Formats: sequence, structure tokens, C-alpha cells
Amino acid sequence: MFATLVGRALCLLLAGSARGLAVNAARPGGVRFTKFAPPNTCGAGAAAAAAGAAPVEVLPPAVAASLCGDAQTLLADVRSADEFAEGHVTGAIHLPCASSGSAASAAVDRLAGRRTLVVYGDGTADAQIVAEELRRRAGRPDLHVLVIEGGFAAWSRAGLACSSGPCPECGMPHEHK
Amino acid sequence: MKALALVLRLGLGGLLIVAGALKLRAPVAFATELANYQLLPALAPYVAALLPVVELVVGGALVVAPRAWRRAAALGALALLAAFTVAVGSAFFRGINIDCGCFGTGGGPITGLTLARNVVLMAAAAAIVAFEDRARA
Repeated sequence: MFATLVGRALCLLLAGSARGLAVNAARPGGVRFTKFAPPNTCGAGAAAAAAGAAPVEVLPPAVAASLCGDAQTLLADVRSADEFAEGHVTGAIHLPCASSGSAASAAVDRLAGRRTLVVYGDGTADAQIVAEELRRRAGRPDLHVLVIEGGFAAWSRAGLACSSGPCPECGMPHEHK
Repeated sequence: MKALALVLRLGLGGLLIVAGALKLRAPVAFATELANYQLLPALAPYVAALLPVVELVVGGALVVAPRAWRRAAALGALALLAAFTVAVGSAFFRGINIDCGCFGTGGGPITGLTLARNVVLMAAAAAIVAFEDRARA
């Protein structure tokens, strides 16, 4: 009796799975298995923006520099590993756009107990995408998310503090492109 | 007990149908929600393709199937809900801040309430298996 019950349950699950595959293959908007890209730190920034969330703030480098050394602030560099190794803002963690969802979650974990996240990239736009995603993942209304206007180039031009080499305290793998 | 089984069966069946239909509307977004769980992310697109229709089939069977198949549908629902609970619990206890994806995209973040709801639904499915008429095949 129990074997019949289990057999029927499996039958339903398998029938549903087969139909699911058929429906997915037939519909234009279905998941394409070979093309699906897992989420990364650039995952859903656009969606968060579309949902009406307040945009992240953009600050000139000199203003953002006033937050350096603040224990309540986390800095994140979204540029490539090579660019990060050549020089980055002191104390920043490396979190490029292509980082995995795990790296993004690890960054969110590092935000615990902090009130401000400062993100910078090559320019303003690339940092904004990652900043939006981190804000969405953090899910904290009290978290102040900022982007450095003009990115690291503007920071360097302003003669603000930099350091070189791998991030000493990132605690997450650097992804080389 | 028959009345209770009927209420639970229609309620759980309806819930699975709604959940499956909502997930079916945006399968790619649902695959992303699944990958965010960080549990075998490579399987996320496959699960996203299968799961909505499996929920529709199991939910539909709970509501309209002949008596002989209702308990089987409840057992299938119990298996699905157990898998969901493991995934949700894993994300909750690892402290991963992600959307549940329980009803497609925009279902809200995973909280202790999400976990508790899943446990209650599992209990409902188990009750249907226990109390539903054991009709002959």
C-alpha cells in the first residue's frame, strides 16, 4: 500500500517535471540552460531601481574622503583585479562586478554593525550598479550607500590616499579577468 | 477528520497552484532567485524550469484528482515542501539576505516567519496523507 502511494507520488512529480521541461522549451521566455548566468554583484541593481528605491548618493571624492578611517564605513572597489592591485583606496575591499553571489553576500556580512557603504569603480556608473545590488541584498533602510563621483580616476586626480597591492583584509577571493 | 482533510487539501492545493502560476510568469527571474540561495547554483535554471509546473500538477491533483491519487499528491506536496524548507532554512541560518522566491519574484526576504510557514504547510501535507480516505486503487 505504502509502495503504491510513493509510486504515485513519484509519478506526479515526474509527470510535472516532464511537462515543465516541455513548457519551458516551448515558450519564448523560458530559461535557456546554457545561457543562464548565475547572479553576481551586478545582479539586480536595475530591478531595485525600477522598484522605486531611493537611488544611491553620488559624492565628490573630497567629500567621500572624509569617511576614510571611520569604523562605521566600508569601502568597496568594483574595478578589475589588475586595477585594484595597481592601487586602490586605503582599506577598500575588492568586489568587482563579476564577483559571485557568495562574494556579494560576504560583503553584506561585513556591513554588519556599519552604517555607511562607499563604492567606487572606473567611473560613476559601474559603481552604482554594484552599490544598488549590495543595498538590495543588505535590506537595511538605515544603511547609507554612497558612490564616489568619477571613480578611482577622480580620487587619484584629487591626490587622495591610496595603497597598492592586494587588499590586506578583504577575506574574499579576488576574481581575475 | 474528513472535513479537516478536505479543507487542508483544498487550501494547500490552491496555494501550490498560485505559487506555481506566479513562478511560471518569470522563469528567468525565478532561476536567479534560486541561484541566490547558493545551493547548487548550476542546477538553478533546471529547477526553475521544472518546479512551477510540478507545483501546478501536484496542487491540481490535490484539488481535483480521484481519491486514489489525493494522498499521493499530498505526499508529493510534502516532499516539495520539505525541500523548500531545507533551502529556506539553509539561507536563514547562514544569514544570507535574499528574497524567498516562494511565490515567484518579489516575494519578500527570508525570515523566521518564512521558515515557520513552511513547517506549518509541511504539517498540513502530512495531515492530509494521514487523514485522507484510503481509497482502493
